Amino acid sequence: MKKKLALVIAPILALSMLVGCGSKETTSSTSTEAVEKTESGEEVADTLVFAQGAEPRGLDPAYVDDGESSKVIVNVYEGLLAYAKDSTELEPCLAESWEISEDGLNYTFKLRQGVKFHDGTDFNAEAVKINIDRQLPPQRTEDMPYASFVYADVKDVEVVDDYTVKINLTKKNTAFLANLAMSLAAPIVSPAALEANNGNVNQSPVGTGPYKFVAWSPSEDIVIERNEDYWGEKAKTKNIVFKFIPDNSARIVALKSGEVDMIDGIDSTGVDQIKADGNEVYNLSGMNINYLAYNTTRAPFDDVKVRTALSKAVNVPELVTALYGEYAETATTILPTFMPGYSKDVKQVEYNPEAAKAELESAGFTGPVKMIVYNNPRPYNARNKALAESIQAYWSKIGVEATIEDYDWTTYKDKVVAGDYDVCFYGWVGDNGDPDNFLNLLCDQNVSMNVSRLNDAAYNEIIAEGTSTEKGPERDAVYAKAEQYIADLAVWLPISHANNLSAYSPAVQNYSYHPTGNIFFKDMYKAK
Amino acid sequence: MLKYIAKRILLLVPVLLGVSIIIFAIMRVFSPDPAGIVLGQHATEQSMEEWREANGLNEPIVTQYMDYMKGIFKGDFGQSYYTKKPVADEIFSRFPATIELAICAILIASIVGILLGTISAVKKNSIIDNISMILSLVGVSMPIFWLGILLIILFSGILGWLPAQGRIETLLRPENVTGLYLIDSLIEGDMESFVSALKHLVLPSLALAMYSMAIIARMTRSTMLETLSQDYIRTAKAKGIAQGRVIGKHALSNAMIPIVTVIGIQLGYLLGGAMLTETVFAWPGIGKYTVEAIMKSDFPIVQGVVLLIAFIFVMMNLIVDIIYAFLDPRIRYS
Amino acid sequence: MAATQIETTIQDVKREKPESNFRRMWDTLTQNKAAVVGMIVILFLIFIALFGKWIMPYDPNLGDMAVNKQPPSMEHWFGTDEQGRDIFSRIIDGTSVSLSVGLKAVSFALVIGTVLGAIAGYKGGIIDTIIMRVMDMMMSIPDILLAITLMAALGRGIDKAIIAIGLVTIPEYARIVRGSIMSIKDSEYVQAAKVIGNNDFVIIFKHILPNVLSPIIVRATLGISTAILNVAALGFLGLGVQPPYAEWGDMLGRARSFIFESPYMLIFPGLAITITVLAFNLLGDGLRDAFDPKAHH
Repeated sequence: MKKKLALVIAPILALSMLVGCGSKETTSSTSTEAVEKTESGEEVADTLVFAQGAEPRGLDPAYVDDGESSKVIVNVYEGLLAYAKDSTELEPCLAESWEISEDGLNYTFKLRQGVKFHDGTDFNAEAVKINIDRQLPPQRTEDMPYASFVYADVKDVEVVDDYTVKINLTKKNTAFLANLAMSLAAPIVSPAALEANNGNVNQSPVGTGPYKFVAWSPSEDIVIERNEDYWGEKAKTKNIVFKFIPDNSARIVALKSGEVDMIDGIDSTGVDQIKADGNEVYNLSGMNINYLAYNTTRAPFDDVKVRTALSKAVNVPELVTALYGEYAETATTILPTFMPGYSKDVKQVEYNPEAAKAELESAGFTGPVKMIVYNNPRPYNARNKALAESIQAYWSKIGVEATIEDYDWTTYKDKVVAGDYDVCFYGWVGDNGDPDNFLNLLCDQNVSMNVSRLNDAAYNEIIAEGTSTEKGPERDAVYAKAEQYIADLAVWLPISHANNLSAYSPAVQNYSYHPTGNIFFKDMYKAK
Repeated sequence: MLKYIAKRILLLVPVLLGVSIIIFAIMRVFSPDPAGIVLGQHATEQSMEEWREANGLNEPIVTQYMDYMKGIFKGDFGQSYYTKKPVADEIFSRFPATIELAICAILIASIVGILLGTISAVKKNSIIDNISMILSLVGVSMPIFWLGILLIILFSGILGWLPAQGRIETLLRPENVTGLYLIDSLIEGDMESFVSALKHLVLPSLALAMYSMAIIARMTRSTMLETLSQDYIRTAKAKGIAQGRVIGKHALSNAMIPIVTVIGIQLGYLLGGAMLTETVFAWPGIGKYTVEAIMKSDFPIVQGVVLLIAFIFVMMNLIVDIIYAFLDPRIRYS
Repeated sequence: MAATQIETTIQDVKREKPESNFRRMWDTLTQNKAAVVGMIVILFLIFIALFGKWIMPYDPNLGDMAVNKQPPSMEHWFGTDEQGRDIFSRIIDGTSVSLSVGLKAVSFALVIGTVLGAIAGYKGGIIDTIIMRVMDMMMSIPDILLAITLMAALGRGIDKAIIAIGLVTIPEYARIVRGSIMSIKDSEYVQAAKVIGNNDFVIIFKHILPNVLSPIIVRATLGISTAILNVAALGFLGLGVQPPYAEWGDMLGRARSFIFESPYMLIFPGLAITITVLAFNLLGDGLRDAFDPKAHH
């Protein structure tokens, strides 16, 4: 029996010694930092580490819809077009030039020659056709979240010659070019890789971008390295690590300790800390809208007077400052200020609680208002519960009782579709930088998009006018008109545009963060 | 003995089958529809319906279950709705992290727990005894996630000694051999990696260990008191055998059976506790992953994890019973 | 060990008259300092839960944005949260939530577990096998995993939390009751009751259950601690109460974003949970010792 006991205890003792001597080392080497493994005498550090709040869903641009995936994708892949560095202006990328036919239905792209995918295969017209075809019926599957948006009006793709490709549309769509610069669905994947991976390269992305995929450790990080055969100017830093750190405060601490060089997904509450640690905050307007929507199919919220009065009771600027600090802009329109079509002349309902109270009394409405809210942080609003509770407080000041039911995001979407609410909260992240992408939400047939369930013929007409008008001041005026029309109907109460708030160590050079919520590492580096 | 083990293993089958039915029913009958989250911002009712159809969610629940079980017998646990990766890959790539954390926690819990319990028993009613018993009472009363938060505030926030999140610094990650970073870094002979892994491991394993440590300390104390009061120990003492030897050789080894039981039970508990600890410390294991999967209604993942954990749990119980037999020859299984 | 404890208890119960027995147990309990402290704290918590509405200085659910995220001060003893709500008032408000969830979840589990355990133990045979195998299945999934899954499935809300937390502990009660019943169902006392012609229901509930009460009471008292911890864990993960109601775990979960900026937000709710759970643990331990003097040396 003694021997058997020893068998059990011996490994425990052995391991305890291991733990014992290990913990001594912990205290003696607390200041050890990640030392970059050097190979040559370059003055640029080999690795930049970027920490994001969640793990990407996958790295096949056709199969994902999340910003976390997108940040990796834009460094590994490229599309036919790209956005300019700080705006949603369009620039050539894998397509060097393009022509649009008179009727706006045929787009002919001249492709860049001599570009190779990371697996060594050639980028050419056939590759473009394969990429788009797999996202068109009949090959399109239901789990390609962006295929039906980006390639909505695409009829077919023709290979004219090796480096010329023609895309034919079924109807005129002014936003189509912008779609091709997007980070989802539009980036071009190596056809060889698609074939080798059963049409889904979520785990083994192969593109033409400045970085190549190296490894993905689940729940921990993704590593990419410089593409030495890149067609353009090569990336400055050899390795980029995307680390997943869910807690905002923990990301800030990781930045402070030097464990990571850049972080994003923070909110206003962390800013003072970041600055106190001697790091830089990058505060950039985001392409999104965070709003409250009335259910216009339910009495008495089908009455514009009731909606207007309730909106009057909410002091939006005060609320936004208190909840989001200076790191979200109070929304005065649905469109963010930097987008074409934005107009500063649009007037929303003005804050006036006394008038609100009087108007509701004359309408004979005292509540209750049934609010439903989502409790997961969304890119446009990290704190929906707090937002709903604040609005509840504003309404209680004018004698209107409101109830709050909160759900996780999936359940929430179901509840929205089911329609049992007076007020709900929603938001939208712009896809392609085109105003139609925001404003057509209010004429969408789909109740999961058009959560106010508005069906207003006059408004639909304005939006239709916008999609068939050429880019320019005339088109912008159409969208300004649409905005004022919606503001007068008080269908939504626009709350805020969340800023893209990110932070970086002062050692990082050329840091920038794109309005679309992406980060391009090609030009960034830090001194060794 | 072998016959007994075979019989016990055979009995596991209906239990695991039942578990699979329970979890299947909870997920598929009551849980929110995953289509909305899988398809994202541009989901339409039509695309959601197509997705449900393609993933078999429109089939009768019994058909769905039969299809699922057929897959399992072929070793196919399905694929994650969200990432489209096979469930087995998703789970097993994260499993070593949880194992490392749980082993470390159980080691801390047993060593410190047995030590505290023994000292308390020997020095009954002394200050040490009182302090360690109060500590163990507080230990079982503290929410595990709150303890984790307090440790982070103190050791990462105020003192800045230890990292609050993650498993290792990315650049120091050792080559994957066992998946346990402490061991892999030793295999590589890279002390820097080892230290980084250890530093990341300290806080989460302490937080996870606390509850079990308290239970083990209390258990050790009471069983030690019982054995110490028995005649043969008194005789040994009277014979003039040094106190240390009496405690070590006679008393502790006799107190081992109930202690082993508790340790076995605690390992099962740790897998549940790991869900909270991993969430607090962003530990990249299956606990945190499961919480995320539940929130996203990723049915295949949750089903897989629950089956795996149930399997481990029942196996642990079996192993504890077998260790019994080794520790105490009087116990015979037939 | 457990079985011998139970047997001694049963023998004690049989030997003595119930009144004198309770008298003795009460004396043992009140001599146990820790248990008395536990009882006093619980009474205090019940008082707060009942009359907290009149004690709390602010409305716990109505915030004032002008004073958000303030550290503890004379005006706000425990500080304010991100919406400017008084944390002290919210903790008082949360007392009734935690206590009532604990009590209700345990009662729920107790009733169902007792019925199932009694049927299994008394009937034996195939019914016993079926019930106990199902209990085994439930026990092979960790409590918190099962509770989280149930909550995610059922949706948020206090009632659902009570059901989820209650459900996962049913097997414990069923096992205790079954074990106790098996050990006395063949006793002369029960045989006599059978001979007189009582039906099964009467025998179980009138003659057997009162005799297995003590292990159940001990288990239930400790069970309240577990239930309170579990509801806090659910709240922490964002699966607890509907807003704006205060629940300690939910407060911790929300305050987590401010862990380095405003750590005070994370101190008090955790302290409240720990103190409450500790009180029930002290009482539970005291009760065990009182019911079974042999367990304590």
